[in-house]
Amino acid sequence: MHPIQTARSDGPVQGIFSPREIERQMRIEFERAQRHKIPIVCMLVAVDRLAQLQDLYGHESEQEILRSAIRVLRASTRDSDLLTPLADDRLLAIFPHTPPDVAAVLARRVLAGARKLRFERDGRTLGISLSIGVAHNQHDGSLSFDTLVRVAEEGLAVADAAGGDRFVETELYQLYEQRRQKDAERAKRQAEFAGGEPAGASREDRLLELLTGEGHDVQNLKGVDVDTVVRAIHSLRSVESAAATAGGEGDDALRSARERIDVLERRIAKLTQILGITEEELQRVATMKGIDLGIASIYRTVQGLSAEATQRARKVAMMREIFEANLEFRRQLPPEEPRPASSA
Amino acid sequence: MTNTTLSSASQDVLDDAGARRDSGILHVGIDLGTSRTSVSASNGARETLASYVGYPRDVVSRKLLKKDVVFGDEAIRHRLSLNLYRPLAHGVIDSADAARAEANQKAARDLIGEIVRRARPRPGDLVYAVIGAPAQATIRNKEAILEAAKESVDSVMLCSEPFSVAYGLEMLDEVLVVDIGAGTTDLCRMHGTMPEDDDQITNTFAGDFVDDEIMKALRIACPGAVFTKEMVKAIKEKHSSVMERIEPIVIELPVDGKPTKFDVTDAIRNSCRMIIPPLVEGLGKLVATFDPEFQSVLKNRVLLAGGGSRIPGLPLAIEAEMKSRLGAGKVIRVEEPIYGGANGALKIAQEMPDEFWAKLK
Repeated sequence: MHPIQTARSDGPVQGIFSPREIERQMRIEFERAQRHKIPIVCMLVAVDRLAQLQDLYGHESEQEILRSAIRVLRASTRDSDLLTPLADDRLLAIFPHTPPDVAAVLARRVLAGARKLRFERDGRTLGISLSIGVAHNQHDGSLSFDTLVRVAEEGLAVADAAGGDRFVETELYQLYEQRRQKDAERAKRQAEFAGGEPAGASREDRLLELLTGEGHDVQNLKGVDVDTVVRAIHSLRSVESAAATAGGEGDDALRSARERIDVLERRIAKLTQILGITEEELQRVATMKGIDLGIASIYRTVQGLSAEATQRARKVAMMREIFEANLEFRRQLPPEEPRPASSA
Repeated sequence: MTNTTLSSASQDVLDDAGARRDSGILHVGIDLGTSRTSVSASNGARETLASYVGYPRDVVSRKLLKKDVVFGDEAIRHRLSLNLYRPLAHGVIDSADAARAEANQKAARDLIGEIVRRARPRPGDLVYAVIGAPAQATIRNKEAILEAAKESVDSVMLCSEPFSVAYGLEMLDEVLVVDIGAGTTDLCRMHGTMPEDDDQITNTFAGDFVDDEIMKALRIACPGAVFTKEMVKAIKEKHSSVMERIEPIVIELPVDGKPTKFDVTDAIRNSCRMIIPPLVEGLGKLVATFDPEFQSVLKNRVLLAGGGSRIPGLPLAIEAEMKSRLGAGKVIRVEEPIYGGANGALKIAQEMPDEFWAKLK
């Protein structure tokens, strides 16, 4: 789908630009920003689990939630910022003259505003949260308006996959995309030259495809671990070193190895980012459930009774008695039959 | 930042030799009950589920449920599609019927596995569990519990249920603990040391017994009405009481397919009261065989725990019966009847020295 496909006409937005109008404005604004090197930030915003909320509480509720989300965004922006709804009930906001570090502050403010929203439905109080993808134009190289929105879309997908209620700033998507295209072209050329299977079918390349391909989703990364990527880099480093020693004929191999190392290092960066998000999400869920993840490990060091425990001596004796009773009971049990050796 | 495989968040972390990596210890206390199984864990997790395990009857039900095994209330809800097991009877794994003994053992194993999973150990954590067993469980009973638990935990100890309740509340001196479960009522005399066999009495006048009595009473009080054991259980949980003055209990039961109202106040109250005389008789035995100097203290420190202790008016009714039979009595109820056993077991697990756990691995 085109990243700025317009929203339906009965959408929730009243009193702001029409989608067509704002698209034209955004393109003008973006071109101006590129020409004069003005920082510009693009945010793509989605209400978490909106489809489920619509299923549960109906279209009217969905529209009310969207209107409230727009009000939160409006309250956090200036008059000169541009805001429009897109298809799939996402919202696109463009902030001219806004540097990347301010974008993070802005995104946090919007998230905090959304968390405060409350809706009464069927006697229940509902809260909502947002996922936000953030992109900016402060990169080297050319960048089109559509690509900027795609970069934000990438961040939104990662934020959503990580459970929502967060923003993800994406910077390198464009570079990934360019590199992926180059890799694909190179693989095709090699295949044509060799007359065999296209190159790039190795595990590493499949991983790369997963990491940089369409539909970035944490689910896609099942089975990918950092160890594998690091091992691949080590192996390529040895190729690089051998090629450097060989000289002449080794130039191509050296170049190729360096390119692949570059790819793998970017892959690690992405994996690291996703791991961080996943861990944050686990921490958030654990906090919501009132679980302290650290206690299980910490307890190892405070195992047993402290010296100040009340009735310590008596409790120590009781612990020993329980242990000895269990030990004695185990002794009374018939010995366990050895497990049959597993066949090779 | 961890270095784990992304997809292995819920799997055990194995080292090169295939052994679980010792990255931390999760202590859990488990109250393995006939009706409900509860767990309290050192990470703060507390979960309880009905002690039912169901396996899909055929391919169609498996497809419908999308699971190979279903637990707790979900299993009760889908019982028509399941081979349903209630693996515990009288607080121990039910092996009375030889044909079902093996299946009950498997169901108990799965139940313990599920309750440990619900305690949410992190990948790689060692799980050390204390499981409450009825005060007078036999060696065979204990062996079956141990066998069922060993697949899910790294080290396990069994402990008398009423003792774990008392230990959890730090009531170690001159206390009579009454743990009313579904299968058994456990009585335990605490006097500063580990209770021995003479200090403990178990009887079967507990929740299931009350269910049976209500069933009998309803057959008389509600002529023509049809009802199941599950319906009786639900009625008991909603209306049970032993109080003298209560609002009339009016329930609706189908008679020839037509919902019909019945006043079952006396049927419910009298059935619930039937556990009191044997309970007080047991307390009397424990008091009578104790040091005469401390008998009076003991009678005035009765601690009521377990799911059955939630029956409204029970502490006062027991006190009245004790006063009538023993001349005195003071009963207090634990704050959390459902988790009292599991909390105490967790406290024992946490205060047990590490080397003891290691020796029982």
